[in-house]
Amino acid sequence: MKARELLIAISIALMVLLLAYVIELGGLGPLAPYALRDIARAYLEYVYNPWNVTASSMALEAVTAIVWDYRGLDTYFETSVLFVAIVGVATLYRGYRELRGLGGVGLSEIVKTSTRVLIPLILVAGASIAIHGHLTPGGGFQGGSFMAVLMVLLVVVFSLDYAFEKGLTSSRLLAIRSAGLVGILLTSVALLIAGVVAGAGAYVFQNMAREGSDLSMPSWFLDRPLGGTLFLFNVFESLAVVSGLTLTFIVLALRKEEVDQALATGEWCE
Amino acid sequence: MSGVSDYFSLMFTVVLLSLVVNIGIALYGIFIKPSLVKKFIALTIFSDSINSFAIALGFRRVTGSYPGVAVLSDVPRGVEELRHFSTASVDPLPQALVLTAIVIGLAVYMFLTGLIMLYYRHYGTTRVDAARGGSRE
Repeated sequence: MKARELLIAISIALMVLLLAYVIELGGLGPLAPYALRDIARAYLEYVYNPWNVTASSMALEAVTAIVWDYRGLDTYFETSVLFVAIVGVATLYRGYRELRGLGGVGLSEIVKTSTRVLIPLILVAGASIAIHGHLTPGGGFQGGSFMAVLMVLLVVVFSLDYAFEKGLTSSRLLAIRSAGLVGILLTSVALLIAGVVAGAGAYVFQNMAREGSDLSMPSWFLDRPLGGTLFLFNVFESLAVVSGLTLTFIVLALRKEEVDQALATGEWCE
Repeated sequence: MSGVSDYFSLMFTVVLLSLVVNIGIALYGIFIKPSLVKKFIALTIFSDSINSFAIALGFRRVTGSYPGVAVLSDVPRGVEELRHFSTASVDPLPQALVLTAIVIGLAVYMFLTGLIMLYYRHYGTTRVDAARGGSRE
């Protein structure tokens, strides 16, 4: 037993030493270089480039442009992973019931009052992070997680009974989550459908006009850059994330009476 | 100037290597700790260390100044402004990849939390030995 632990410790120390040696030798390239890598320079120079629209995403923020435009398909599947994990958690606890009137009273009146003050602030800050994702640091996922904190506060401070009373039931949250995912899917094929209808060439996950396709999402809204699909992706993603995280938290916070039956009928139970 | 630059390189390497050490310690926690909750905490430290490491790899230096974030603060009026932006901003690609990694990590954590809670409700403990019907000794 002790020898086994020692062996693991020595091998991990060896791994750390070898990794450090490789980094010191320059195996990861020059560290903190003065010159930017070519691909990074290309992203930075084309992120908002009205003089070369076919390579641009017309958004001011490079990270959101990479996440939702240049590597949009990756991010779509990443959102799917999040969705599948939420479905997995709900499946682990399959058969749970949402009971009302179990006597949850929440925390004291002082905490409740200060939380009531916080609720609009968190909501506005989260929505602004999500909606301005193509202009300032942030985006749909960050804004959605921000707003999910509000829902967690609601459940912890005001009790689960209160959350159910206010309509935060898991079926409704799952419906909002699915609507967000369908919104992302529709946004990604919007220009393709428009191209098929109009008889013009178009691509999946197309944002601005590309080579061989003149179709384009709107790049400006009134006096602000819009980033085309980026704005829509951020809004739908924040919807999906806030409802998905809230659903998971509610399932994990279920009381003993609500999951007992689910655990008793599970076939994995001996 | 050269002295300051050397000192910067040294400290940057120290930060990177300490992150590698952090990764090793977190791996040790995942392998050795018998409690599933502690394994879970070690796993979060492991992934956070790797994410910080990837972010640090995207750092670059700018002569005479600090590098800026990869966000245009105003609508550019010419190609020269874009050139200037690309000479003064950090690499946005590791940040985008780490954002993806964080989201997928969060999905895995949520699933693991649900599993660990079920394990505790079934066996009354979070020790991994419980599933074998006894301790390993």
